[in-house]
Amino acid sequence: MPSWFTRTAVACAALFIAALVFVALAPYEKDMGLVQKIFYFHTPSAWMFLTAGVVCGISSARYLANHSPKLDRLAWASAELLVLFGAIALVTGPLWARKTWGVWWQWDVRLTSSLLGWMIGVAYLLVRRYAGPGSDKLAAGLALFGMANVPFIYISVNYWRTIHPPTSVVPKLPLSFGVPFYLSVTAFTLLFVMLLRLRVHLEEQRARVDSLYLSLDE
Amino acid sequence: MAASSVGLSAALFVVMSIGSPAAGAPAAVQVLPPPLMLPVRAELQSQPSPSAQKPPEEFEAISEIPPDERMPAAPMVVAAYAFVMLALFAYLLSLARRLGAVKQDISRLESELKRNGRT
Repeated sequence: MPSWFTRTAVACAALFIAALVFVALAPYEKDMGLVQKIFYFHTPSAWMFLTAGVVCGISSARYLANHSPKLDRLAWASAELLVLFGAIALVTGPLWARKTWGVWWQWDVRLTSSLLGWMIGVAYLLVRRYAGPGSDKLAAGLALFGMANVPFIYISVNYWRTIHPPTSVVPKLPLSFGVPFYLSVTAFTLLFVMLLRLRVHLEEQRARVDSLYLSLDE
Repeated sequence: MAASSVGLSAALFVVMSIGSPAAGAPAAVQVLPPPLMLPVRAELQSQPSPSAQKPPEEFEAISEIPPDERMPAAPMVVAAYAFVMLALFAYLLSLARRLGAVKQDISRLESELKRNGRT
């Protein structure tokens, strides 16, 4: 593990423990009761899912323009995090929905476009894994579609009929809900940055292995 | 001819005197005779108003969970938090394994290069 990892991991773990304590102390929501506490991990992971989609899309677009391997590594790393945080959001969401809405899933615009975004991330990873030479550019093109879907996922609840809460809920959070929520957002953001750096580091090491093989063949 | 038109007028009078169309019913529904409208009216009345379907605008705090909601919610919350922790731990473990394998490759290749005298 790189030298910076231990410090960041300790800070991240401390933030998560603090977030969990504040989540436990947070009041129950009037209509949803206990199950609303899923919100404190569901929404930050959904935000990280969208952030990963944007990072992957921007670095892919820049990679297609100037072919820098650094940007390709960043895109690949963020695609993996997109799938990870997307899976968390897509699993915790239905667990919350089952109690609050009475159904596990609804084919409304927010949920459907989120699933589509996650599937684009999975497709990106499959292309990188199995499509062979040239898969980097093919996957970069796919990432652009994934990024175009991100604003659609975010604003869809404000424009289409849905029972998913609108985006106005988070800015209007009272302090008792806001403190654990933003603490959780900070923990997830730090975790996202740490995992992204670690995944990029893995790709750098793989590139080093490739160059070592080349020098051995020469 | 005259008898049939008198019969039709009488039938129309009877139909119109039974009741007027429901207020707020669509135009297509209002042209139906009232006996045919009854099921439609009942259906319209059974639908919740649009304001009842509105999603919540903000969260509101209460001091404790309503008693009827205590048991079913707990397994969902525990499952959600457990899944988050497991997924993150599994990913971190997979990253550590992949990094370990790559590090091993690097040290093996570097020692091989040194043996061949090409550092």
